[in-house]
Amino acid sequence: MDSPNGNGYVGLVIVSHSAAIAGGLAELVAQVAGPDVSIVTAGGGADGTLGTDGGLVLEALQAVQGPGAVVLVDLGSSVLSVRAALAELTPGEAERIVLADAPLVEGAIAAGVTASTGASLAEVAAAAEEARDVPKL
Amino acid sequence: MSPSSELTLVKLPLHVALHARPAGAFVRAAASFAATIEVQANGRRANAKSILEILGLGADGGTELAISASGDDAAEAVAELANLVIGFS
Repeated sequence: MDSPNGNGYVGLVIVSHSAAIAGGLAELVAQVAGPDVSIVTAGGGADGTLGTDGGLVLEALQAVQGPGAVVLVDLGSSVLSVRAALAELTPGEAERIVLADAPLVEGAIAAGVTASTGASLAEVAAAAEEARDVPKL
Repeated sequence: MSPSSELTLVKLPLHVALHARPAGAFVRAAASFAATIEVQANGRRANAKSILEILGLGADGGTELAISASGDDAAEAVAELANLVIGFS
């Protein structure tokens, strides 16, 4: 699950305050999207507490290869952590990453399945962001 | 080939819901066609290329799916998707 996406498919990075949320969502997305889409998680604080850890997020973003990855975040400071980590990347690393403005679960499922079709980074990010407009009921 | 409209009815195997892994496989297959493809089930309608809409159908095992497509490869699309559904296990 933590293998860098050197296989030509766009990958996902899931950032959550909870390692359990990030890990559980990665499991769910992998089941629907299949084995080709790499999913890297950065969940919880460094010492296993709830929170976001800038170092963990930076490591996750630096692991992204190939055609890039879409980052999905849960709440508030996850966004700040990702933005701070993006600022640490080289321009070459940063251009392979898109932070999606999307609901976490639906966005990750939509992005994962779209990535599994071989779609481009922009298409995968768009699928994540369109997830907000799909009614649940 | 000229553009066409196609419709086929197919039942999900009794023990396979259009959820999780099968739903992902269905959407991946649909995405490989240029045609516009829709699925109707349980009185709901979904874009076959949208995983969230397909999951939203809530199609349990044994549910009849109406798969319709329009576009140049519509006939191939409905045939392949119907075969995929029948073959789910």
